[in-house]
Amino acid sequence: MPTNPSSSAAAVWAVLRKECLSEWRTRYGLNAALLFAITSLAAVSFSIGRLGDRSDVLAGLLWIVLLFAALASLAHAFVREVEGRTLTMLRLVAAPTAIAIGKLLFNFLFLALIEVVTVPLFLMLMGAPAPRWGSFLALLALGSVGLAIASTVVGAIISQTRGRGALFAGTSFPLLLPVVAAAVSGTRAQWNGGSVDAELRLLAAYAVALLAMSLLLYDHLWED
Amino acid sequence: MIGRALLFAWIAGWTIAAFAWAPLVPVLGETTRVLYFHIPAAWITVLALGWSMVHSLLYLRRRRLEHDDHAAGAAEIGILFCIAATASGSLWAKAMWGSYWNWDPRETSIFFLLLIYAAYLAVRSAIDQDERRARLSAIYSAAAFVAVPFLMFVVPRIYFSLHPDPIINPRGKIDMDPRIRVVFFALLIGFTALFFWMLSLRVRVARLERRGLAAQGGAS
Amino acid sequence: MSATAAMVSPESVVLEAREVLHRYGPRVGLERVSFRAAAPGVVAIRGANGSGKSTLLRILAGLLRPTEGETALAVDGAETKRSDRSRWIGYAAPDLAFYSELTAAENLRFAAESRGMERPDEAVRQALERVHLESRGDDRVTALSSGMVQRLRLAFALLHRPPVLLMDEPGSFLDEEGRGAWVGLVQAQRRERLIVIATNEEREWTLADESVELRGRGLGRPA
Repeated sequence: MPTNPSSSAAAVWAVLRKECLSEWRTRYGLNAALLFAITSLAAVSFSIGRLGDRSDVLAGLLWIVLLFAALASLAHAFVREVEGRTLTMLRLVAAPTAIAIGKLLFNFLFLALIEVVTVPLFLMLMGAPAPRWGSFLALLALGSVGLAIASTVVGAIISQTRGRGALFAGTSFPLLLPVVAAAVSGTRAQWNGGSVDAELRLLAAYAVALLAMSLLLYDHLWED
Repeated sequence: MIGRALLFAWIAGWTIAAFAWAPLVPVLGETTRVLYFHIPAAWITVLALGWSMVHSLLYLRRRRLEHDDHAAGAAEIGILFCIAATASGSLWAKAMWGSYWNWDPRETSIFFLLLIYAAYLAVRSAIDQDERRARLSAIYSAAAFVAVPFLMFVVPRIYFSLHPDPIINPRGKIDMDPRIRVVFFALLIGFTALFFWMLSLRVRVARLERRGLAAQGGAS
Repeated sequence: MSATAAMVSPESVVLEAREVLHRYGPRVGLERVSFRAAAPGVVAIRGANGSGKSTLLRILAGLLRPTEGETALAVDGAETKRSDRSRWIGYAAPDLAFYSELTAAENLRFAAESRGMERPDEAVRQALERVHLESRGDDRVTALSSGMVQRLRLAFALLHRPPVLLMDEPGSFLDEEGRGAWVGLVQAQRRERLIVIATNEEREWTLADESVELRGRGLGRPA
């Protein structure tokens, strides 16, 4: 593949556009994911009710719902390629790293889209206090980046095995847990008036470390 | 042959010493004995995981299946020690503080290691072809390698800040009587040797299996 | 990108396989093979079913890492990196599938953009014309017949004007007209490119200047 950076950027951008176009044409992925997220939220809200004063529980529940949404939907970017047998074509036109970054950006946008619907619903249904928007959105953003990075690399691995959804959930969980832990802690802190700097730094550090490691690994992922 | 016999004699001998010769630690009472087995098991859990991950990285570098044998073998044996450490830790906690599981930092860490072992072995079990299995599980191992320091050190502290525990767990430095120290280190060495011995068996079996299959599968 | 490939003079492209062998688990799928082919010209890879023709082509394309041995592609005397290989080769095989929810043109356009081609729309149009699919460019791939999909594969292989073409069973799914068009394509390109055809069909391998015969019955034969 062309090794000059501008062409790799072209490949990333092309992959991202293709993912968005494919998703738009079929739309079943996004619809299913949104339905799943809203269903989990409804289950939580129905069984627990309003929790206006329990910021610790609220923080935990919010991120559990988002975690479930990620587990249910972020593997499909790669599974779709394997099932459609289009990996050969993809590998011929783009370098592994470009493919991975393109899919990562797509997964992040996908997650962001789910959050745009789910998070406001959560805040309303659970009777949550008003968040400190700056900190809250920063946590959501960095947390989503972390979830996307981990899900992309694990999704790429799992799509080549016999396992599917359950295996994806089990194997991505250890990698997603640091993100969820830091995000929950930070979300609680911002409701309690504390600083979220430590958690944001943690999320950023983990995202950078995992991204760096995964970029080294993608070249080995598709060899047959 | 002799090595094996010596190893068993060593472990058996020092185990008897643990019960008959070494004194009890005052604050722990009769449960002192657990530390001779629980702590080495935890140590080997970490050692095995590290060994497995290093060999995964070596496999990706050099593509020799011997490295994969080591990675897989260390994981298969390591998970046994991890289960032993978790179970013994839980029983110890029950005896000492009345509850089987508290999510205190050490318990939390060992549980996450168990999850990583299980996930790694699950990935392996979902792939039939040798080379692909070695490669994909090595990639997972490398990714998990990044998560381990966060899971071992950061997450437990976060948990604790979220749920400050009224129970105080004094698991820090135990001022060890010299006899306790001797037995402890002797058993630590013994169990570590046991791990490597089991690993060498497992690696040999894997290599023989491969050769056997290659001999039947068709000459090149 | 496409400009670069066109400037490469055909004589300076050499494709080599050195002691390549591939196993699937314990069984040998591709028996040890070595060969050297230089552009321009047509080389046929022949062998019984299961002897590893498709495997060899995948290895040459850089899609599969062989169990033993290596392949090399030298352009202008300098050996190219394996990760760069797909820039110089065009690959068309039955296992090459397209995005069924996208149109033929969109698939090719995606390929052109990813490869960093300068005028992707132009390249797509030309590629479709060369395989007589210009009228079907805006149809989704699901609406194309298997013969048209095969022609789309050829268009995909030619899209970035590579000096080397690897074709696995190129006549499959093509009717007489399609086959005639394909032969015309090969005759037109053979003076400029190295074309490697993996095939069992006599009418395909007779087009070739040289042949590589693969030994062994590979996976088809029990120990």
